[in-house]
Amino acid sequence: MAAKNMFTGAKLGLGIRDGQSSKVGSTPRIQALNGMMHAERPNCDIFRARVLTEVYRQTEGEPAMRRRYKASAELYKRFKPVIYEHERLAGWPASRIRGTQIAIDMHAHWLEGEIDQIRTREYDPFEISDEDLKELKEDIIPYWKDKTPASLWAKYLSEDEAHRSQEGGFADVINYVASHGSHFLPDYPYLMEHGLRGQYETAMKCLEELDPDDPASIDKKEFYAGLLEVLLGIKEMAENYSNLARTMAGKEEDPQRKQELLKMAECMRCVPWNPPRDFYEAIEVVWFVLCILFVEGAGPSVTYGRFDQYMYPFYKKGIEDGTLTPELAMEYIEELYIKTTANPWLLATDLAYYFGGYFRYPHLDVGGLDRNRRDASNELSYLCLRAMRYVKTTAPSVSLLLHQKTPDDLLIEACKLSAEGMGHPSFFNMETLISILEQRAGGLNGRSPYTVDQILEWGSPIGCVEPGVMGHQYGHTDSCMINVAYAPTLVLTHGIKPDNVDGWGCGERLSYDNGFISQYTTFGKFYKAVKDQIEFAIKEAHYDTIIVEKIFAEQFQLPTYTLLLRGAVERGIDAASGGATCNIGPTIQSVGFGTLVDSLAAVRKVIYDDKEATIEELAQALSSNFVGYEELRQKLAAAPKYGNDDDYVDDIAMDIWKFFANTVRGLKNYRGGYIDPAVQMVQAHVGFGAKTGATANGRYAGTPLSDTMAATQQGDTSGIMAAVRSYGKMDFPAYTNGTVLDMWIKGSDLINR
Amino acid sequence: MEKKAVIFDIGRFRNTDGPGIRTIIFFKGCPLRCKWCSNPFGLSVQPQLAVNFEKCTACGKCAQVCKNGVNKIVDGKLEVNFSKCSQCGACIVPCPAGCRKITGEEYTARELYEEARKDAAFSRRDNGGVTLSGGEILAQYEVAAEVLRLCRQNYINTCIETSAYGKWEHLEQIAQYCNIIFVDLKHIDSAKHEEITGVPNELILENIRKLADYAVEKNIQLIIRRPIIPGYNDEDEATIGAAKFIAELPGNPEINIIPFHNLGENKYDMIGEEYIPKDLTMLGKKDDIIVRVKELTEKYAPDCRVSVGGEAIDLNKG
Repeated sequence: MAAKNMFTGAKLGLGIRDGQSSKVGSTPRIQALNGMMHAERPNCDIFRARVLTEVYRQTEGEPAMRRRYKASAELYKRFKPVIYEHERLAGWPASRIRGTQIAIDMHAHWLEGEIDQIRTREYDPFEISDEDLKELKEDIIPYWKDKTPASLWAKYLSEDEAHRSQEGGFADVINYVASHGSHFLPDYPYLMEHGLRGQYETAMKCLEELDPDDPASIDKKEFYAGLLEVLLGIKEMAENYSNLARTMAGKEEDPQRKQELLKMAECMRCVPWNPPRDFYEAIEVVWFVLCILFVEGAGPSVTYGRFDQYMYPFYKKGIEDGTLTPELAMEYIEELYIKTTANPWLLATDLAYYFGGYFRYPHLDVGGLDRNRRDASNELSYLCLRAMRYVKTTAPSVSLLLHQKTPDDLLIEACKLSAEGMGHPSFFNMETLISILEQRAGGLNGRSPYTVDQILEWGSPIGCVEPGVMGHQYGHTDSCMINVAYAPTLVLTHGIKPDNVDGWGCGERLSYDNGFISQYTTFGKFYKAVKDQIEFAIKEAHYDTIIVEKIFAEQFQLPTYTLLLRGAVERGIDAASGGATCNIGPTIQSVGFGTLVDSLAAVRKVIYDDKEATIEELAQALSSNFVGYEELRQKLAAAPKYGNDDDYVDDIAMDIWKFFANTVRGLKNYRGGYIDPAVQMVQAHVGFGAKTGATANGRYAGTPLSDTMAATQQGDTSGIMAAVRSYGKMDFPAYTNGTVLDMWIKGSDLINR
Repeated sequence: MEKKAVIFDIGRFRNTDGPGIRTIIFFKGCPLRCKWCSNPFGLSVQPQLAVNFEKCTACGKCAQVCKNGVNKIVDGKLEVNFSKCSQCGACIVPCPAGCRKITGEEYTARELYEEARKDAAFSRRDNGGVTLSGGEILAQYEVAAEVLRLCRQNYINTCIETSAYGKWEHLEQIAQYCNIIFVDLKHIDSAKHEEITGVPNELILENIRKLADYAVEKNIQLIIRRPIIPGYNDEDEATIGAAKFIAELPGNPEINIIPFHNLGENKYDMIGEEYIPKDLTMLGKKDDIIVRVKELTEKYAPDCRVSVGGEAIDLNKG
């Protein structure tokens, strides 16, 4: 086993295709499953597209919600189950391993142009069979291309606006428009206690109690009738798996495998309709729910949340009655990790440009506090971290919810995983997380709708870092990206995009014109203009996305998501229309924070303090990508940099940090909440960098921006601790949609123990 | 006026020279001239110009600004006459490659404490803290003692690294504020010691004896460091002699063997000095020489814990 585990980090990544290094895991079963998964290339399945087209054609003219709900019910009923060798967890969201359903209702407009290149395109190619491709092209795409949210949304905008906000590279909203049904913490605690049957009984009761003379009942009747169908659909889908497992068991000659298949058949007969009875059935619920959410939704970041909390009663019971061992539990967890990793995310090239790598951002948390603010960690917390050290998959993002009472050995278990160099685990500061959840969607003066107990019990990050409360929150949390690094340059180019970069609109208007450059006689005046540019981008993105939010709420309901929200069924409101306790988003993120801060500090130092050049010269230098201005570029690059605990620049950082957050938090969304700001974007700094002209920190056009909230590349030269002290100055809870800090630490800087 | 010390570096996030995460303050100036010294910036107490020739693009900016004619571009390569340099610093900022600095800055004890305090939050959990190193801290003992006092007062773990070549009163003034003391024993034979370090060792041996008594009395952890430099002090007699000497000290101090490394070599170029042990290769913990030294030391100092490498420290003892 030791030899199998010698690959880590990049080495594992590079070697993955040889089929050897991917065969890792704590047991032979896991090694085989891991190998099977990595042997497949990402592929797409048109089952969902086909069923949806059929249902929509048959129901032309019927209420939007009825059509939507019927489509989901049909999808589940007709889903064709597949069970592979070695598997114990049943279910795949597509017909092949590493497959994805095509959410045709979201993607048809761009697929029309890209379908012929989908197998060979540069960013995230997908396999697809010839027949499926033909059917998509000739039948399905033509039906849907004018009916996607993006197509409907474009009717509200001018052509320039639509291009600018999807491809320009300053304010970008494309992820929101194309990825509906995403960023979700399904109500696992409810399922563990009541099963889906609980929701069926609730919906039934609500339907019976409707007063037909109440005008509100018109929509609610559609809602409940539709939900009941969807619930029965899910039940039937699970039963189909059960039947298949039983049939396969009948043919199976290996007595051990036969036993496993019979157990699977029994499990799928029970869950997720009924509450699970043991650890195996509970982890099957966890996986199966992710599966159906990936069938219905198009987006990323469906999340397991506080897995070690809702799973622990089953673990404890299993250990006590002797039906489970820690080794067996870890094997189930490793299988869950492999199956989770096998879900690629299908995106348009425009988006894959920012998110490339198929990753669908599922997330699993351990540790944290309980409702009495005691340490909540248990044996499963350790197993979840350890399982990842063995199985070495990219998903889910395993995270440690860290606080003052975290036991040292759990922290060390997490650090051991960190030292593997795979990017696991993420560390989340519980104090900040709780503080954010108290303010989530509450605006500048507001409070979130969550109770303190809800936050303490089920608060955890979604996807990358966005805080949520399990079963109580719905909303896209990665909606608009604002490339703040562009702002100083756009002030000096009168809002025109330079012509030496990627993407739509070179030489075109990307933002508004602040006016004559000679007006910036002081740094304060220049700084104000930069803030105006950022505010313009934020407001444009907001204006664009609340339109989409309205389109989603009216026409793109999400019955399965609704079923997994606490209280939404009783309220009779769909998830997309505001059924959750807390309705989030469309959120607004900043990209290129470090580059922006360094640019501002460089302008202040070189132009206004040292007067080494004039602001007009700087404008010239930036539009010419520093050709003929190399000396000025070097001076700009040598100015004080964010990430070195230097207040000259950190003061600017703190101010602009707060400015962005406050500007966003003052805006309202369509469903009545407020917009939350974030700093995320682990990869997008490369894509946005390619679309960004030269910046005043001496960065050439087209090169990457700073990532996450971190300092610019090679900018933090005073060591890790000075960098952390800089970052620590920022007001983290002000970003009510979360923040990411990505740091790279040399292996030799770690203390070995 | 408040006394200031000349410091040539403040190392952060170090995992050597003491337990946990440490902030290491390097004092400039040393009375010894060990031939293998890996911190040549620490030798002279004066601030010095340091040039990283590897990063130099030979653009000639430094030659234009220097009033003393220190910098010259000859055949597309930079040549620096360090002896002419007056440390005015005029060439630092104009250098576009950023390959120049004046090593050696003055700090008061309070300023140094503030630097250490910034990092205290990082080191609290793991007994980490501040280590004073050099150069030789005894050369600037007043500031060193005051920094240590301030740190101890604020519950920051304190270590020093010293050659013990100085007055006992000065050493005691420093030692009283230490949690851990690393003291070097480079050679047990005084004549040899003088040959390889420039000074005899009687004073050092006497101070180590006093330090050992003092450490027992004040409950300070004393660690005797034995840098092992092939051809200079790796002979068996030297190892045995040192082990016997340490074995007789009260409190059985830990013996920490440091294998020779040449990581300081390019720093000599940067200040225009010549690196002497050019032909030696770096030693690993498991090389024969080190294994032999460790075995002999363990044999002749059987009651002392023997460790190898700068990062080795016994947390339970501290």
